[in-house]
Amino acid sequence: MNHDRAKALLPAYADRQTGPIRRFLLGLHIARCTSCLAELEAIHAMRTAIRTNLPIHRAPPSLAMRIGSALPREAPPVVRRPSFARFGWAGSAMAGGLAGVVLTLAVTRLTPRPDPLVADVIADHVRSMMGEHLMDVPTSDQHTVKPWLSARLDLSPVVKDLAPEGYPLVGGRLDYVDGHRAAAIVYRRDKHVINLFAFVSDDRSDAAPVRDSRDGFNVIRWRMGGLTYVAVSDVEAAQLMAFVRLVESG
Amino acid sequence: MPHLGAAFNLARWLTGNTTDAEDVVQDAYLRAFRYLDAFRGDNFRVWLLTIVRNSFLDWLKDNRSGRLVFQPAPVESDWIDPTPGAEAMLLERVDSETLAILMARLPAEYREVLILREIEDMSYKDIAEVTGIPAGTVMSRLSRARLALRKAWIANEKTP
Repeated sequence: MNHDRAKALLPAYADRQTGPIRRFLLGLHIARCTSCLAELEAIHAMRTAIRTNLPIHRAPPSLAMRIGSALPREAPPVVRRPSFARFGWAGSAMAGGLAGVVLTLAVTRLTPRPDPLVADVIADHVRSMMGEHLMDVPTSDQHTVKPWLSARLDLSPVVKDLAPEGYPLVGGRLDYVDGHRAAAIVYRRDKHVINLFAFVSDDRSDAAPVRDSRDGFNVIRWRMGGLTYVAVSDVEAAQLMAFVRLVESG
Repeated sequence: MPHLGAAFNLARWLTGNTTDAEDVVQDAYLRAFRYLDAFRGDNFRVWLLTIVRNSFLDWLKDNRSGRLVFQPAPVESDWIDPTPGAEAMLLERVDSETLAILMARLPAEYREVLILREIEDMSYKDIAEVTGIPAGTVMSRLSRARLALRKAWIANEKTP
């Protein structure tokens, strides 16, 4: 994707409002373009500022009561209970309560929000295999991949050829994951590809591996040495966990 | 009351004061209750905030006749030469009082998209629904809103 096009789409990228293919292509451009990266960082910084520092105005406690008592005496058309009217004041209070129940029922239809990190790494994983851009450095030599990544990112992830254990290293590339410039280290298991992403954690403490799965992909993430690692693949969960253990002990 | 917090915060940022925000929110809930059977979507919050915004526009008509709050903002060149890292770092540290003042000075059409996007975490599609602007316009409006806030912040930094 050319620079002008990428620049124009940065807000949608920052807001996670692009489709997966466009997201992948944008990620590739951003990982290599200091101007877009700086702009993206400015959008993220503004978001952080707004989310952490913009005052949230809380409704005064009296407001809910005031609304409750102002609600109509009769229940709304969806739940016809005309008999409430006969109970006068008490009926109105009950109707108010009923209104709350009806509104609450409407709310429970909301679907839970998916974890953006998981969605992001799966999208990156899929696109990395569909496109031609699986690797910037296609080599099984860990002593080539590691310095190549370290020179381009301010981080030094674990890179280890695990061929003897059945997970040969096949290369590395630059990527952009969940708001972070990331190293993507590519392994294979039989015919499957494993993308191992590593980026600087917001939270510096170590954390044990956590498993997730979606759309037939397994995702395992953990934190180690100030970096967040996320392994994504369609290999079965036990095999991916075995892989994670090998990287962890590396 | 479901989503009372979101409804009140939006109304408060739109009206600029607590008393009017309370009136707008109360009006919105009464309307929501009255038209509840018209609710067909799966996102009640989007539906409710759409009503809050409509109540706000009606309140505006009744109380501030002639004042155009939603006047189109001037089209600006929408790119600041980025100063990598530095500005982003500083922006994260803007104090909450300053941010509130800068935000309050923005046109309402900018305030609302920033609140819906950054506080309510809404998709462009949902923002389009609440604000009634075309989905394709949400990104550029958000972009202009962010730029306006950024410029206001930079100007504020330069005049201590």
